[in-house]
Amino acid sequence: MDKLQNLELKISRFLRIGVIVAGLMMLTGWLTTFQWSGNPLIKFKTYSQLSVFLHLELALMDENWGMLLSYAGLVALISLPVLRVLLTMVLFMKQKEYILSVVAAFVLIGLVVSFTFGMEH
Amino acid sequence: MFGLTLILISIFAGFLGSLLGLGGGIIVVPALTLGFGVDIRYAIAASLISIIATSSGAAAGFLKDHLTNLRLAVLLEVGTVGGAMVGFLIASVIKDSYLFIIFGTFLVFSAIMLLKKKGDSLSLTDHPWSQRLKLAASFPNEKGILTEYKVENVILGLWAMFFAGILSALLGIGSGIFKVLAMDGAMKLPMKVSSATSNFMIGVTASASAGAYFLRGDIRPEIACPVSVGIIIGSWIGARMMPKMPAATIRKIFVGVLLIVSVQMIVKGLKDG
Repeated sequence: MDKLQNLELKISRFLRIGVIVAGLMMLTGWLTTFQWSGNPLIKFKTYSQLSVFLHLELALMDENWGMLLSYAGLVALISLPVLRVLLTMVLFMKQKEYILSVVAAFVLIGLVVSFTFGMEH
Repeated sequence: MFGLTLILISIFAGFLGSLLGLGGGIIVVPALTLGFGVDIRYAIAASLISIIATSSGAAAGFLKDHLTNLRLAVLLEVGTVGGAMVGFLIASVIKDSYLFIIFGTFLVFSAIMLLKKKGDSLSLTDHPWSQRLKLAASFPNEKGILTEYKVENVILGLWAMFFAGILSALLGIGSGIFKVLAMDGAMKLPMKVSSATSNFMIGVTASASAGAYFLRGDIRPEIACPVSVGIIIGSWIGARMMPKMPAATIRKIFVGVLLIVSVQMIVKGLKDG
């Protein structure tokens, strides 16, 4: 098996396991906080901007572990492509593919900068 | 009851998306906004989460089949992530009504693209950047024979990815249609390679804006979790049932539905504006 195929298989395995873990976290979190009666979506008819940190603080105060687990699942899922880029960067570096490794680093920096926009806007 | 309906619709969206080669966002955003009355900003944010889930799952399969051009994907991700950053900033200032109109227009475009017959490309000339970064590769064709291909118009491809990134962040879609169009049409990549490489990049594109939406508090677990789980289940079923389904007939029906929904989205945008 050549180096590139080996790299592809490593990333493939990482993505598959990541989606399953994040999916299970979100499913468990959602089921434990599931509202069987009424319309749980009614509060989302109008948009109100409230930072995720405030939502987490509220869930922590209420000891709403299901909600916290759901948030953890969301973080895991959003982090998956970020970690995939990091993994690609490291593996390209190991293969002495320095230009592609720098390109992957650029993508990684772009992702981090993009995330910070969410705290400012 | 609403929660169960939401997960069932998401399963259906994932099923149909995987059958027709579309992301779930094209179904989920109109279903959440027009069907459940959810604000379009929450719908877009939830849709991005489901896109990360489905594209990561599918990308794992494509990688195993050696269809993804990993080196090209990493390069083009510079364009998509840059576009997603711009898209998020536009989404922060744009009025909701415009989002509905742009989404409706995108649905019309998607419907046209679904009807268009897909050709296949195979380039024999290599762009200088492609030569420098060794982007040319080979893929197993229908008969399993390794076929070599080269990559044209890398710079044009990067700009197209930038545009696809803007739309992804703005509308909560994977923008796979634009990515495949650019890779197949401009860069002359074989269709199988274009689809697999596009799918591989979609997760990173969606993650760029999803992270920002998440930190701003727009991604709410009450919507995003059932939608994502439903879409994961639906696309898993869709991939397994694909050989037994009359995809061509479903495609024609879906084009009709898309056009109706696009009109509804545009009318809502015009009314609210």
